[in-house]
Amino acid sequence: MTVSSEEPSGDFEMSDLLHVKVFRFNPDNDVEPRFDDFEVALFDNMAVLDVVMHIQNYMDRSLSFRFSCRIGMCGSCAMYVNGRARLACRTQVSSLNTRYITIMPLPNFPIIRDLVVDMEPFFDKWKKIKPYYIPKKEITEPVVVRPGSGEREFIDDMLDCITCGCCYSACSMVATNQEYLGPAALNRAYTLIADNRDAIRVERLKVVDRVYGVWRCHTQFNCAEVCPKNIVPTRSIQNLKRRCVLRKFGVFR
Amino acid sequence: MHAWTWFLQRISAVVLIIALGLHIGFLHFSNAGEPLNYNEIVARLKTPVLMGLDILLLTFGLYHALYGLYSVFLDVDFGKWTRAVVLGLLVVLGLGFAGFGIFGLISIGYST
Repeated sequence: MTVSSEEPSGDFEMSDLLHVKVFRFNPDNDVEPRFDDFEVALFDNMAVLDVVMHIQNYMDRSLSFRFSCRIGMCGSCAMYVNGRARLACRTQVSSLNTRYITIMPLPNFPIIRDLVVDMEPFFDKWKKIKPYYIPKKEITEPVVVRPGSGEREFIDDMLDCITCGCCYSACSMVATNQEYLGPAALNRAYTLIADNRDAIRVERLKVVDRVYGVWRCHTQFNCAEVCPKNIVPTRSIQNLKRRCVLRKFGVFR
Repeated sequence: MHAWTWFLQRISAVVLIIALGLHIGFLHFSNAGEPLNYNEIVARLKTPVLMGLDILLLTFGLYHALYGLYSVFLDVDFGKWTRAVVLGLLVVLGLGFAGFGIFGLISIGYST
């Protein structure tokens, strides 16, 4: 299907047309997925989210996609844009270096409709590692962790995860084995296991020390490559592997 | 179990880098002239250090390779029983090859 854009006005120029190919699938009506083509007028600082919103507002109201904050905080608008998982709101069209854009739903997730995926498998695994802090009973707040004590681990970067699912969709291990916990859940587990104040660090470590836990990561760094927050889950996973070995030697308690 | 096998994989990688380096060094750089004949190879294998090095290379090389193979197999979920069968086969295969190789090395090394 080709739908022409409305007459461009203001800063829009006819020569600056984006050729957008969008994945479409409605399980209620469609037998199989298809791609629809659209031509969208480009404007300054246009993000991919602006592109799909323009299509939905002016060309095809039936297009489904998910978004919320529009500033890269909520992680709702992750899509597979030109062969790579990205946050649509934080991806400038100019950064793609082409006028031809192909937008698909995130790989490794069941498709609900068009660009909307079912995040349930992702959050099922997220829940398995108990992604919340459980304080030790003997701890009285505030806990003092002195900067020079060596107790403080640098997990700050890893805490920036917005659970967008980009890493999960880029992970080739998730693609081959749906049981694998995936980079996001393991990264979250690391941030808690590295916290001395946490009461169930060993229990968490036992959860990740399973055949479909940390051991399925082959350090390909696909997750790190696509993370919109520049987190390196691979590093967290390697740290977890080291801790699993230390636990076997009785060093980690 | 996975922590131990993974740790041993790392150890075997380090051993392989060293042992393979020494093996290539002894074989190709310390004998840079004419190719060795059979008798010279037998004479060399009678050196306990070189025989030990070859046995080390064989056992750690086999472990590293077969663990890698098993790891690739685990990446695709074939179910618990298939996993157990494959693991059993690889263990038998590994022990068989290691036994055969070590037997061969010792037989040649101690032949008169």
